[in-house]
Amino acid sequence: MKQDTRDRFRGYTESLSEEDSDLLRTFFAEFDAHCLIADAEKRKLRSDFERAIIYFSDAGLPLRRALERLDPANLGGFYARPPVLWFPLDDAAKVYPLSMEQGRMSVFRLSVYLRRDVVPELLQMALNFTIKRFPSFATTLKKGFFWHYLDTTKRRFCVERESSVPCEPLRVARSGSQSFRVVYFANRISVEFFHVLTDGTGGMIFLKSLAAEYLRLTGVSIPAGETVWDPNTEPDAEEFENAFARVPLSQGASGFVERAAVQMSGELCKTKPCRIIHLKMSASALKSAASKYHSTVTSFLLALMFIAGRTATDELHGEASIQVPVNMRKFYPSRTVRNFSMYCGIRLPLDTKTDVASLASDIDRQLRQKASREAMSEMLTATERLVAALKYFPLALKQPAARLVYGFLGDRIFSNTLSNLGVVPLPAEMAEHIESMDFVLGTAITNRACCALVTVGDTATFSITKMTADPTFEEKMHRLLSENGVPVTAEGSELYET
Amino acid sequence: MKLKITYPQPERRRLRRRRLLEILRWPFLFAALVCPALNLVTGGSAWSIVVLISLYTVWTLVLSPDLVEYNRISQFIKLIVCCCALLISVDLFLAPGWAVEVVPIVCFGALAVSAVLFFTDLERQKQNMLPLLMLIFFAIAGSAAGLALWREESRWALAVMGVTAVTLLAACAVTLGSEFLRELRRRFHTR
Repeated sequence: MKQDTRDRFRGYTESLSEEDSDLLRTFFAEFDAHCLIADAEKRKLRSDFERAIIYFSDAGLPLRRALERLDPANLGGFYARPPVLWFPLDDAAKVYPLSMEQGRMSVFRLSVYLRRDVVPELLQMALNFTIKRFPSFATTLKKGFFWHYLDTTKRRFCVERESSVPCEPLRVARSGSQSFRVVYFANRISVEFFHVLTDGTGGMIFLKSLAAEYLRLTGVSIPAGETVWDPNTEPDAEEFENAFARVPLSQGASGFVERAAVQMSGELCKTKPCRIIHLKMSASALKSAASKYHSTVTSFLLALMFIAGRTATDELHGEASIQVPVNMRKFYPSRTVRNFSMYCGIRLPLDTKTDVASLASDIDRQLRQKASREAMSEMLTATERLVAALKYFPLALKQPAARLVYGFLGDRIFSNTLSNLGVVPLPAEMAEHIESMDFVLGTAITNRACCALVTVGDTATFSITKMTADPTFEEKMHRLLSENGVPVTAEGSELYET
Repeated sequence: MKLKITYPQPERRRLRRRRLLEILRWPFLFAALVCPALNLVTGGSAWSIVVLISLYTVWTLVLSPDLVEYNRISQFIKLIVCCCALLISVDLFLAPGWAVEVVPIVCFGALAVSAVLFFTDLERQKQNMLPLLMLIFFAIAGSAAGLALWREESRWALAVMGVTAVTLLAACAVTLGSEFLRELRRRFHTR
């Protein structure tokens, strides 16, 4: 394959006119000036440029214009300087490497669906140009004596064709390994992040910036803004800060321990997730269905999830609990792309109300109380205190203890999760090239499903990550949405385990 | 519910490997439970401790490798630590009297090999310094403690191990210069 590309590029250069050959020589001289990394990585980067040039040539774009789009100046100084930066993990991220095990890692995935199939050559170049703008993503996870940390790595970050189960654990152990994965399939670009790097909001900024750069390479001009970053602007310290440290601590601190929640009854699969399901619907229809119950979209969906979850369990008593991540940026505005979210649990007994109206109003009340600024500050204070108490314990002691506690408590206090990223703002120039987006949460230990919602334009995508083959939950959700006047189309994967 | 498939079939190879590792773990767990029980029943020397350390060595190096920092230096040092633990346990429970000479010689060899692994790929391996630093630290501490403990006897192996460790530490500091301090700051941060 590599040899094939090299041969094709050699053949291509031999066919060029004298003038074009000069252009290309100057172009690669400039590439050399911008790329002072290890030879093996440099060769890979150069090969990316060559493949993109061949793609443009096949597409009939004149060489001069192709080289303008691929200008090596877009690499900036990232590959011309040795790695210096390092980032201590933010307070929320500290638990992820401590609790991970073989085959289990906190990974989430954000995808964008374009109106045309993805061109891998251009996506690779888009990543090569975008990565410098996100220095905390251009890192590898390392072990310190007391805590893990992120160490800058200067390598070519690669794009792959999708070939594995979504949210599969990343291989972060090797020297210079990347902690995120960019994959493509048909018209979909997906980025899977290890949670140590970022949360959904930060990940979305990365994905949008990557997609915008990709579209620029295809010839579409996208204006940069607050949520679509120009890869050629300088990173700012605030964008990579541990924003938890800026939040004033509250008087009280609430703990994380709760009673175990009722789980859905399906048998847990060995391959996790065993299926991904996207329920796509009209955002306006969803909103008007929610407003019929005088509730928000989140409360409405939580109510439906409670009903569907109840159908999917054989238990008759006990409490169901749904974890709802809360974006702390709405209380403490921050431009950080690191983790800056907490969570709350919405709990309801199984043996009470069953109608959407009363459930939604109860959930609304709980959300106002449990996802309030005060409640979140208390949880954050508890996190800060825990981190401060543990900071002088060597990692070698913290790690087994964390695994033991995490393995014992795990996610048993929740039955399910709903993470709502809200409406994703897109510049009009970008929106016309984007069909939809989706947000897939990683796997759980005992929960049989995790759900996430993201809205782009008038398309809301409710994604279900399944850990059991039992289809009751998603079928009930589908039926409930339809009954409430929200037409749904279902997409997703085959069952990975039969 | 009709579902439009929008995901490719995953590569079976990856799934099969994970399953195979899961299956292989069970004989290990079985042996880890049976050996101590058998040892207790039959009595005699505590050979099962040697078996347990051997099982742990294979487990940690082959079946459940490190999830972070899996590199040539860290894996080599891990192997050496396991070997030393095994040698000490054999000395303590099966055939006593030789580990105090043999373990420092093994550690000396490990320091020398680690130095070669480190300095022959400095650019990349300087990111993997923590296991090397820990080995150096334990070699110095072990050497000092051993020499203090057996002051009357000639323990040349302990002295050689200590001197080699100090030399290697100095070589790292000189070669990396200010980067050495920066590396220490990263590795020992408490933020």
